[in-house]
Amino acid sequence: MNLANLIIISVIGTGISSIAVQIITVREFLSQFSGNEITISLVLFCWLMVSGIGSLAARFFSKKSTTLYSVIALLTALFPLIQIIAIRLFRDFIFIHGESPGLYPIFFFILTFSAPYAFLIGFILPYSLSIIKTMDTEFTVGELYISDNIGDITGGVLCSFVLVYFFSPFKIIAFSSFLLILVSLVLFIFLKRYLLFFVAFLSIALFFTFAFDKRFELSTLFHQYGVNIVSYQESPYGRIVLTKEKEEYTFWESGAPTFSAFNITAAEEKIHYPLSQLDNVDDVLLVSGGMGETLGEILKYSPRHIDYVELDPALINVASQFGILSPHAHVSIIPADGRRYITDSKKRYSAIILDLPEPDTFQVNRFYTSEFFNRIKRILEKGGVFSFSLIANPNYLSEVRVKKLSSIFNTLKKYFHNVLLIPGEEIYFLASDKTLSTDIPLKLREKSIVTSYIDGFYYGNVTKERIKFLNESINPDEFINTDFHPRVINIMFNEWFRKYGTSPNWFLAGLFGLLACYIFLIRKEEYVLFSTGFVSMGVEMLILFSFQVIYGYIYLKIGAVITSFLFGLLPGAILGSRWKNKGKGMLIGAEAGMILLLLTYLIWVNSYHSMVPEFAFLLYGFIFSLLCGLQFPVAAEMIGEEKSPAAGLFAADLVGAGAGTLAIGTLLIPLFGIQAAIIALILIKTVSGIVILKG
Amino acid sequence: MKRYIGRKEFLKQIGLLSLLIATDAHCFWPKNNKEERSDIRGHVFKGDAPKSPWKWSIEGFHYTTNGKDVQCGICPNRCYLTPGDRSVCRSKVNIGGKLYSLAYGNACAVHIDPIEKKPLNHFYPATDVFSIAAAGCNFRCLNCQNWEISQRKPEEIRHYELFPADVVRIAKEKNIPSIAYTYSEPTSYYEYMYDTAKLARQEGIKNVWVSNGFINREPLEDLCQYLDAGSVNLKSFEDDTYRRLNGGRLQPVLNTFKLLHEKGIWFEMITLVVPGYVDKPEMIKRMCGWILKELGPDYPLHFSRFFPRYKLNRLPATPVKTLELLRDIALQEGIHYVYLGNVPGHNGYNTYCHNCHKLLIDRRGYNIAEFNIHNGRCKFCNTPIPGRWG
Repeated sequence: MNLANLIIISVIGTGISSIAVQIITVREFLSQFSGNEITISLVLFCWLMVSGIGSLAARFFSKKSTTLYSVIALLTALFPLIQIIAIRLFRDFIFIHGESPGLYPIFFFILTFSAPYAFLIGFILPYSLSIIKTMDTEFTVGELYISDNIGDITGGVLCSFVLVYFFSPFKIIAFSSFLLILVSLVLFIFLKRYLLFFVAFLSIALFFTFAFDKRFELSTLFHQYGVNIVSYQESPYGRIVLTKEKEEYTFWESGAPTFSAFNITAAEEKIHYPLSQLDNVDDVLLVSGGMGETLGEILKYSPRHIDYVELDPALINVASQFGILSPHAHVSIIPADGRRYITDSKKRYSAIILDLPEPDTFQVNRFYTSEFFNRIKRILEKGGVFSFSLIANPNYLSEVRVKKLSSIFNTLKKYFHNVLLIPGEEIYFLASDKTLSTDIPLKLREKSIVTSYIDGFYYGNVTKERIKFLNESINPDEFINTDFHPRVINIMFNEWFRKYGTSPNWFLAGLFGLLACYIFLIRKEEYVLFSTGFVSMGVEMLILFSFQVIYGYIYLKIGAVITSFLFGLLPGAILGSRWKNKGKGMLIGAEAGMILLLLTYLIWVNSYHSMVPEFAFLLYGFIFSLLCGLQFPVAAEMIGEEKSPAAGLFAADLVGAGAGTLAIGTLLIPLFGIQAAIIALILIKTVSGIVILKG
Repeated sequence: MKRYIGRKEFLKQIGLLSLLIATDAHCFWPKNNKEERSDIRGHVFKGDAPKSPWKWSIEGFHYTTNGKDVQCGICPNRCYLTPGDRSVCRSKVNIGGKLYSLAYGNACAVHIDPIEKKPLNHFYPATDVFSIAAAGCNFRCLNCQNWEISQRKPEEIRHYELFPADVVRIAKEKNIPSIAYTYSEPTSYYEYMYDTAKLARQEGIKNVWVSNGFINREPLEDLCQYLDAGSVNLKSFEDDTYRRLNGGRLQPVLNTFKLLHEKGIWFEMITLVVPGYVDKPEMIKRMCGWILKELGPDYPLHFSRFFPRYKLNRLPATPVKTLELLRDIALQEGIHYVYLGNVPGHNGYNTYCHNCHKLLIDRRGYNIAEFNIHNGRCKFCNTPIPGRWG
């Protein structure tokens, strides 16, 4: 094996490691900060942008040293562990323990702690090519792109479908970095750098010792959760931690406490406001939130059966193991996506209770849309009741919260004759075709059901004046929230910004200015790749968004969609390398193909009401990314490698992807809906088509 | 131009410029050093005042001026405002060398609550209280449940028009015996509260101050003329926690308790037990020691259960056992009346005679199932029970 081959293997190793680290890092940040769509987009944005800057830096780095490359490769392999530890330790050092910071602090934290690694990843790829070029081989930028793709696919599949099921983050990092570590060591031997080899060996030994030490990994979580962790598990859906303080359990999902023992008020409000309305309680469907006292409160009505749907089986297992969820003859615990379950269910329920977080992500918003409420109506018995709650201050209703409540209220009102809002600790929505009563204590007395909170506090907290004021505050002209026009997410973003008294406008204006400068300075071929990066990330987000609306959030299937995007790049890059001499025509062809695919998507979205086979999404993702992959080697060939295009091209692709993530995820879909987002992508691609034609 | 200035140079300039702006704006870290980071106290909003007073403005009380700049003297923040500045609490502005309150007669929350909700357990139990709030707060509590009114400017919120005479009239019409200045921080709408309280007193209506206690001596002395009761937070007994979680200081709050005691105003102390911050038994012992020494054993102390809220939403709820432990400590230390809050159904809501330990008030939420106080004395042992019983 020659040196060039070793470097190519290291490129594959970098791909494997970088994808796995990216997945782990996104999950880590989501566990540290609020997991809304803005945070998710910020992480991806920072990652892609800094990688782009890394690639750009490689363009200006003139020193070509294989030893230096080997050191950087080893650093790339080992650094992720330090990155994750640093994120965990510095979070509480920089912010106040227990606090959720706002947009700018989150942004700078994410940027600071993901930048070193993202920079390395961006740098190493074009730098590897410049090293190979010194070795008198025929290796091209297109082939480099292919090698990187092979690594990405392997890393993506390995991490998403294998490692995440069996291992904790530290071990996943260790496994995914293994190839890169090995190649680095071999490179040191090959280059006869024995001292470096020795130092590297010691570092690697230290790396694996820490990565495989379970207690060490757990100790890095103590800052966030305290030392009383009784269970820690990483499920594909997120981090599940159970802590026990003075005999009382707290459940943490992705860093946020979701259940605390003896939360009587929440359990009683959630259950008795809807169930007390019914003369007879037959079958009850509870979507999430069944821990602790909740099921016990439902059982006070002696229902025929309770179906409790919870997305994450790991959560159910941990809760059952520690007695937070007790088995009962009349209760079935179903691990499934709530929306999917409701869509497929043939059973009819006398009550359906949702206990989900606020609709500030695409994943949760689909439970508050017109289409979803329609499905609820279908499986609800005549005269049955449907309920859920949203956060709002019972003492004062701000404009943004009136908007939120009004939008959901109007959406619900499309399907139910009566919708009642009760101003409890949260605002409870009750919907039914039969008359709804606000005198819950009276209803409970009639049924001889005893409660602690409602019996004693309801009349004082939920006064007639408060109920009247709340229900009269609803604006009947507020828009309807739908699957493909999820404007409630935008309201949620506004609510989030108001909470921190910040505005994203400066951030967006600055970003837009920098992007404009960048676009102004790059070559037209680089602009094509910039737009392709932008559109490919945008389409991936749109597809994931649509997919989970239709099929539910099912980890393996979502993983399959992401993988289809990764898989498409490889044959695209291979074909592009083969046809790279066809130049402009090839680029135009790919552009036309993408626009055609986007138009197809637009037509489907506009006429959507029928299910599309899951396979169609996979195929779509595959073909789209194939076209994206195709452009890279062709653009490289057009610029000419003597002008060192690799760094600039990689940078353009990455910067475009970063911008696309932010624009589609946080602006276009929430503000203007999915149709507008697709049209924007079509426009971007049309402009790049014109640029090629004119060039 | 684009092709000739040199891309490298151009990018370098842009990068340097961005770095300078970002550094100057403290973008990279929330604050520069550890000491600052642990202090979330608010700051004066420079140049944020409206050009002229609006309908709900009144010249502020307790301020000094040199004809141009003003200094508010209501709370220990003592905001020094140059013309056009807005105070920490967001309700006071300097317009043309005069201090104006922008929260006068523009209540943003108006409700009728049970008195126990404030919470006040020894102040005319089972009566209603007419509760009003205007925008603003001199603290920055990370767990504020009313942040939409406390952390907003008066101009930013939806409000009613309810001048002091209107407040008193409505309370009278509805036959409500007390008015509470609550929800946000009434010290920030001091003038509105003061004038309303004065009118209410004239009409025989009682005044209840629900506050963080962060107020200066002189304005509080003035207010005490019309005050009947206070439900005042003692958020912690550590200054560090005050600074980290609330953006305030401890000592001025302790001074407030001493003054209320001195003036004979009935008050109850409320401590929210935030896990990891306000749950240390040693601190509670010290706190009780101070209360006993400076205020005596009779003022009730409430330990409330924390739930994740607002920005402080990455902490667990307080374990009930912790609350019980702290309650036991406070009782053992000698505080006569220690209650629990946010734990429905717990017997920590009940009142037990500090002498014979028999059940005086059996509370089922806001309802009273049993009341064994007669003429302000225990029905069983005739011991006077501190409070205002009517």
